[in-house]
Amino acid sequence: MIVFNIWSVLQWYLRPFIKWFLRKTTRLCELQRICYGDRVGSERTRNVEKSLMMSRTRDVKEVVSYLDGTVLQRRFIRCHFREILDPSVAIILRVKKINPKLHVSFIVSFRRCLEQIWSYRSLIDEVEELRRTQFDSNNDEHEQMLLNLWSLLVPDSPLEGRVSKQWQHIGFQGDDPKTDFRGMGLLGLENLLFFATNYLQVSRHVLSHSLHPTYGYTYAIVGINITSMAYYLLKDGSAKTYMFNAKQSLPNINLFHKFYCYLFYEFDKMWIESKPQNIMEFSMIFKKFENAVRMELADPASVFRINIEVDNI
Amino acid sequence: MGLLNILKKLRSNPEKELRLLLLGLDNAGKTTLLKQLASEDVNQVTPTAGFNIKSVLSNGFKLNVWDIGGQRKIRPYWRNYFENTDILIYVVDCSDHQRLEETSHELAELLEDEKLRGVPMLVYANKQDLATALPSSEIATHLGLHLIRDRTWQIQACVATDGTGVKEGMEWVCKNIPTKK
Repeated sequence: MIVFNIWSVLQWYLRPFIKWFLRKTTRLCELQRICYGDRVGSERTRNVEKSLMMSRTRDVKEVVSYLDGTVLQRRFIRCHFREILDPSVAIILRVKKINPKLHVSFIVSFRRCLEQIWSYRSLIDEVEELRRTQFDSNNDEHEQMLLNLWSLLVPDSPLEGRVSKQWQHIGFQGDDPKTDFRGMGLLGLENLLFFATNYLQVSRHVLSHSLHPTYGYTYAIVGINITSMAYYLLKDGSAKTYMFNAKQSLPNINLFHKFYCYLFYEFDKMWIESKPQNIMEFSMIFKKFENAVRMELADPASVFRINIEVDNI
Repeated sequence: MGLLNILKKLRSNPEKELRLLLLGLDNAGKTTLLKQLASEDVNQVTPTAGFNIKSVLSNGFKLNVWDIGGQRKIRPYWRNYFENTDILIYVVDCSDHQRLEETSHELAELLEDEKLRGVPMLVYANKQDLATALPSSEIATHLGLHLIRDRTWQIQACVATDGTGVKEGMEWVCKNIPTKK
């Protein structure tokens, strides 16, 4: 601990000198060295973020707090990117004395990093709001989502009533799922619904595993616990590896749902492979699973995909 | 105090380590209570699949608290955790009128079990902040606590989400620890 503290203090004082030295020898600023040298995706974007956050230049600090402000006002969305990012990039170019004509590729790549970093921050807010929204039986939209979940997962047997023992078939605890969402609120339901809607075959396959006579588990409850895991991984920044390595999409709610689907699918696989004696082994296996996921996320090169092909056979 | 000293202390006072068992129906508030005891954030609780366990230091005791999931499917496994229990804590959601009978029934079954014979019991009458919550005296009547003759018991009104009444319950627990043979 003490060694670590000394190192971070040293770093704080030494950083400007190291940066100055590298700047003189490479004739590139730190942001340029990152954008040219680091692999595109998580590695590059994380390092750009770190560099921006550690900067002691007033203008850079102002750009950072301006961008944070747009997130707070819910304005950091694609249709505003131009008006938000153009001046931000221009300030950085001016402060760092970068010639935009010579460094076109830097601008493209730096801009992409900014989009990713602040989309991730917007996403945290959006997810937090969904989590805080309690499931409300008086809200038709909420009720409809719940009923959709049922008809997607169990198309052959219609619900006999809104309050019914049947809910336990898909792994809710009692006759009415409303109390099961708890601390995860609407986020838990939206996650479950996205999985069933967008990966219908996979989710039914996972559901069928959960109904296994010995290795069975409670599908929806486990799903809500996975929501909680995805939520914490997002909040503590571990999920950046997943979000920044996604090539087609910026961090957004759908990407979060996909992350959830990946986790659910992988958890199911590990659970079945562990051949648990009963559901009481859940916390142990869940912890083991979380450690494995964290380990994978710690490697910036990790790419995550659901292997559906295997499943369809 | 060094780590070695702490270890030695724990060793020399083995009787100071206690096993607490938290039971009750699903959605009663067991996990929230557990988190409250461990001074953790209670806003992000999820339904318990299986069980949770935490060690809490309280009044000089090391309490190992076992929080077992309350859903019907898990209840058959409750028995596996009865052995060596020092104190039983039963949690009731006082606003769930429909399932009062179910929770009394589960409790009655617990109290008949050989492995829990004579174990002191604390009942937390939880969710007192809700307008529809029954007072603890009424809960006690519903559960038939006054008919219990073979163990000491206590009912404590509480709000697990903000901690009201939780401490009072734990003080009772620490005062009523059975002396080990």
